[in-house]
Amino acid sequence: MSSPLILLPGDEVPSEYLPNSSAPLRLGPGLRLLSQPPATKPSKHVLTATQAGILSTDNKRNAVSILSTSNRRYVPTSNDLIIAQVHHSSADYFHCMITPQSPHALLGQLSFEGATKKTRPQLKGGDLVYARVLSTGLGPGAEIELTCVNPATGKAEPGGLGPLNGGMVFDISTGMAARLIRASSSSSDQQEGVAGLVVLDELGKKLEKAGGFEIAVGRNGKVWVDCSNSEDDAVRATVAIGRCITTIDEHNLNPTDQRKLVTRILREMKIES
Amino acid sequence: MGGPIAVLHPLDRADGSASYKCPSTGSNILGSVNAPIELPGRRDALKPEEATIEVFVKPGTAPGGVGERYVEGILRTALGRVILGREKGYPRRGVVITLAIVGGESVGRGGSYLPLLPALLHTATLALLSASVPLSVTLSATVLAVNSAGEITREPSAKEVTTATSLHVLAFTSKGHLLLNESEGTFTFDTWDDVYERALAICHGSSTFGSDGDVAMAETTEGQPLDGIVRDTVEDHIHRDYAWKIDAA
Amino acid sequence: MASTTAAAASQPAAPSLALPPSQFARLQPHAYLLAHLSPPASSQQPSIRANGRAPSQFRVTSANTGSLTHTNGSAVVRVGDTTAVCGVKAEILHTEDIASWSVSHSSSSPSNKRRKLTNPTEKPGEDREDGSKDDEDDDNSYIEDFSLLVPNLSLSTGCAPGFIPGAPPSALAQSLSHQILSLLHSSRLVRAEDLEIWYQRPNFGAEELERHNEGEQMDVDAGPEAEEANLEAREIKAFWVLYIDIMIISLAGNPFDAAWTAVLAALRDTKLPRAWWDVDNETVVCSDLVSEARKLSLRGLPVASSFGVFEADAAAGWRAVVIPDAEEERKLAESERKGIQRRWILADPDGYEEGLTQERVSLVVDKTSNGKVKLLKMEKNGGFAVDRKELKDLVDISARRWDDINQILQRC
Repeated sequence: MSSPLILLPGDEVPSEYLPNSSAPLRLGPGLRLLSQPPATKPSKHVLTATQAGILSTDNKRNAVSILSTSNRRYVPTSNDLIIAQVHHSSADYFHCMITPQSPHALLGQLSFEGATKKTRPQLKGGDLVYARVLSTGLGPGAEIELTCVNPATGKAEPGGLGPLNGGMVFDISTGMAARLIRASSSSSDQQEGVAGLVVLDELGKKLEKAGGFEIAVGRNGKVWVDCSNSEDDAVRATVAIGRCITTIDEHNLNPTDQRKLVTRILREMKIES
Repeated sequence: MGGPIAVLHPLDRADGSASYKCPSTGSNILGSVNAPIELPGRRDALKPEEATIEVFVKPGTAPGGVGERYVEGILRTALGRVILGREKGYPRRGVVITLAIVGGESVGRGGSYLPLLPALLHTATLALLSASVPLSVTLSATVLAVNSAGEITREPSAKEVTTATSLHVLAFTSKGHLLLNESEGTFTFDTWDDVYERALAICHGSSTFGSDGDVAMAETTEGQPLDGIVRDTVEDHIHRDYAWKIDAA
Repeated sequence: MASTTAAAASQPAAPSLALPPSQFARLQPHAYLLAHLSPPASSQQPSIRANGRAPSQFRVTSANTGSLTHTNGSAVVRVGDTTAVCGVKAEILHTEDIASWSVSHSSSSPSNKRRKLTNPTEKPGEDREDGSKDDEDDDNSYIEDFSLLVPNLSLSTGCAPGFIPGAPPSALAQSLSHQILSLLHSSRLVRAEDLEIWYQRPNFGAEELERHNEGEQMDVDAGPEAEEANLEAREIKAFWVLYIDIMIISLAGNPFDAAWTAVLAALRDTKLPRAWWDVDNETVVCSDLVSEARKLSLRGLPVASSFGVFEADAAAGWRAVVIPDAEEERKLAESERKGIQRRWILADPDGYEEGLTQERVSLVVDKTSNGKVKLLKMEKNGGFAVDRKELKDLVDISARRWDDINQILQRC
């Protein structure tokens, strides 16, 4: 693909940017099929953008979509992995906070791996859970339901769902959260990192001796970091990782600067690597 | 006279925001958009099949009055035609646009809001773009004053407004439709026709009269078209947001 | 008319499914109006609105002035089923009660020429074409600066469904109030000179004059002022403030036209008693002789006319909106010329039609004595249908409306 194409609402998608296959085209967010194609070329798809953003074409899935401004308020969508904070609990549910401005989401007391009436986790207000959005309901005022278990298998899938003990949570932008999820979920054998992020690989290499670290990224703009294996340095290393991620988010650093930043912060915090 | 200065997303907490400053009229607007959000307590007032658009204009110094209600009405009608309120997730919810007049002349009782209207429209459009609210087109607007000698002044200063015989605000969509026209004062239709030509040239750069040579002339005399300023502002912001992706590609 | 529509609605199905036209109008308002405007070619029916009017026809308008006896001027204007009552009440505002008066006034002499030079809010040289009538333009800023015109519009309880008692002024009422005020200002309908209450200084000796000057904060520059005052020998001591209250007692669409016509008729009816400054009692005294009261001399006769645009696309109500290019618009206009009309500009829309139109046009026109049309306001918002060509046609329609309103107001 040539240089990225930025579209504004009302702009038409040029046909050379559309995947040329006969299979049905999938339209992602921000694009719309004009229901009145101009009479001159009725057979062609005429797509217009409805949001401002970069046109992204996926030839494999035969899909096009608009990547819009990244740092937005989190709107819960099914299957998103998020970090929620328990606010209070009632007979059947934990009432959790996803973002400060949205109403509480419900997390069933038994929606944990292997949970029964007797073995269910005892969560207090302020505790953190790594959960998946099960449903968002329809219409306004609908409740958002969370789960920490795959209802079909009864396992915590993907791994790591459940209460988060220890560690620390850092706030990041939702755009950064999406990048971190892509970076941490794909294989790390690429040279330049995934989604332009090398920070996790870099930190992983440097902190290997100190015992490594655990990380959970929530799409709602939260990242949880824990270094309980590194004994004495646990708190310092956690703060260092958090600082690296939030600084990269704020200043939009490129891979080279990310490496420099990691080295600098680890030196400042006196963590030997 | 410098061009307008627009900044996208200056506010962290809002879904979308923009600030817009027009040096020649002296208006300075800060706007935020929250969408889609639940509007509390008025379920029966919400339309079942589309979004409810609310516009609030906050004057810089005084509390809002009838003039603000009026300009809010104008903005709501104009933007309502551009916002796609039937897209997924928007029906029965609200699009709330708040525009604060940060600097410039304040509007007195019964005073004209027209000199501020283009800045308000641009701020609202940019804020809607930064909130990724689905829109059918973007728009650009300008204000023109005609004085007693028949001279047309683009984006007049407060002093030029008071000596003008008529004031005109025109807003065009990015496809060249006249979306909004507000004219007051004493004028003839022929005067307005000239104003229309000039406004179209200011907003879109390409004027409708004559050959290619004329078009180039119009562009140089009017500076960068306002339509292009809106586009550049958004493109710059997206470039910054996706620097990691664009650099890698 | 109604029978064709009912037939179109029910198809040739069972007769029990046929709806009376009134119900069809409620259930399918858009299709109902469209069926009226575009009757099938075979039926030989003319295109006509559901209320029986042609697209550019206004509703029957009637005006009656002077029915409220306790006001200085009043009018009841009825445009179809929309009825507006307007009363004008004049009250006296002493210049010593105006905080900014002494500042703005003592720095300039009472002469109009000086004021024009010092005040930047003047609009010099405007409207000189029909000179004889319009030369005293200069002191209009008094009206804006001191708020001498105070219009207030209320949509009374029960004027239309949905207006409940005790509710605060709706956004509609507030913006209509603002529109009327800003039109009063920008059209400069009322002359400031009509609202001024003067003190004619009797030609006494110098000592009397001096004594007088002390009482009124002009002593700072009393020296040069006294000489000039000898020449002028008169000054403004008070203003009339006109409280213009408009009440829409029945709202069936297009409130602005009715309200503005009511304001216009009431101001034409307004009589102010002769008033002067009584130097002994230091107060303004009014004459109770009806013969001495004088009418306002208004500048021109601005007439408002509003329009709504009805789009034929029945699906526009629920389908995602598609906005054609400007070029496609032109093609659309071409097809219109061939007889397939897709949109109608409806003059003076009633309540039913207002619910079906998004795009609005509002024009205020005046005609000079030599028949030249000038525009005082032109607003268009909410759609893409009306562009230059359409606006030009609407100006012509509004000019014809001006003749009608002019006749109606002359009669009453």
